[in-house]
Amino acid sequence: MNSMDVRVVREKIEHINALPTIPKVLNRLLAVIENPRVSLNEISSFISSDPALTTKVLRMVNSPVYGFPGRISSVNQAVILLGLTVVKGLLLGVSVFELMQKTMIGLWEHSIGTALFSRLIALRTGHKEPDEVSVDGLLHDIGKVFLVLQFPDEYQKALTLTQEDGIIIHEAEKSCFNTTHASVGSWMARKWRFPSKLTDVIEYHHKPHLTKSTPAESAIVHIADILVRARGFGFPGDDLITPVQPQAWELLGLTEKDILEILKEAEESLQITEDLTL
Amino acid sequence: MPKIVPGNLQPGMKTAKPVVNTSGMVLLGENTELTPELIDRIRNMEVDGVYIQGLSKPSVPVEAALSGLERRFRLVGGEPHMDIIRKAVRKHIEGLYE
Repeated sequence: MNSMDVRVVREKIEHINALPTIPKVLNRLLAVIENPRVSLNEISSFISSDPALTTKVLRMVNSPVYGFPGRISSVNQAVILLGLTVVKGLLLGVSVFELMQKTMIGLWEHSIGTALFSRLIALRTGHKEPDEVSVDGLLHDIGKVFLVLQFPDEYQKALTLTQEDGIIIHEAEKSCFNTTHASVGSWMARKWRFPSKLTDVIEYHHKPHLTKSTPAESAIVHIADILVRARGFGFPGDDLITPVQPQAWELLGLTEKDILEILKEAEESLQITEDLTL
Repeated sequence: MPKIVPGNLQPGMKTAKPVVNTSGMVLLGENTELTPELIDRIRNMEVDGVYIQGLSKPSVPVEAALSGLERRFRLVGGEPHMDIIRKAVRKHIEGLYE
């Protein structure tokens, strides 16, 4: 199959907000997020002005993916407890939720599972901002959503290729688009001024040893991604496990016992999040 | 998180989600420990099921779950550290069926 010119792919992806399938709320939200000086109050009133968005945010922050199950009752409280960076990421997460569900069955489950495992690994390895790392996990595969939306037929071919050739989606994307969801996600994250650490993790979650600014966060999401696949939860485009990057593994220093305990801690939450629709 | 029909509820179980009747009215909050009196009350209301804390058993047989696991790991046999992850996940999955 002929692969596409990466410049054409980038050009089209960068104009994705013009697609009629992009929800209005996402475009309005991006305008808020793009402003680096936005305050907690502005974010909070933006969410509160949209009842549907409010419900989604509250459902998400009260889910087991975060540390306050069932205890947050207002948007103000959520914004204060979680902080600006986490709330920005969460808002992006809940606004692409429907897109994820429509574009690839199982991608939402994969994303939310990765968010959960990222948080648990962050807690276990003593990371200072487990909720931020959880958002990194939630959005790490956002590039897949953009690719499917802009190139539905070509992406379908990539998915078929994983089946026929027994390769992972990352490889199939390379042969169809000359690029991967990690790069695509990072282009858009930069264009839309996502928090810089989040942008970095999106770019490096498949090669966490190459990042300079987020070695720990990228390693955590990289391993969380593998654990969710290993557990067989959700569907990220193929049903294969890729090797863990040795430097990332050694950086976190997890043992077999740690992994087993993380899986146990995650299990009940996974069963609850299986029914988490926003 | 298993959903249990009112007839099978036992005292001591804890609710994992609010208990609602068929018209959506909340009868009990989540995280409530069930007593014989509460169970009687739930049985007399129109409740089709109650979510209970704890794990429900997976719906696929253990053999299928384990062969699925080996299939997912088929590309990474012999890669560094992958054996540790595979062993932990295998133990975990076996544990879900105990």
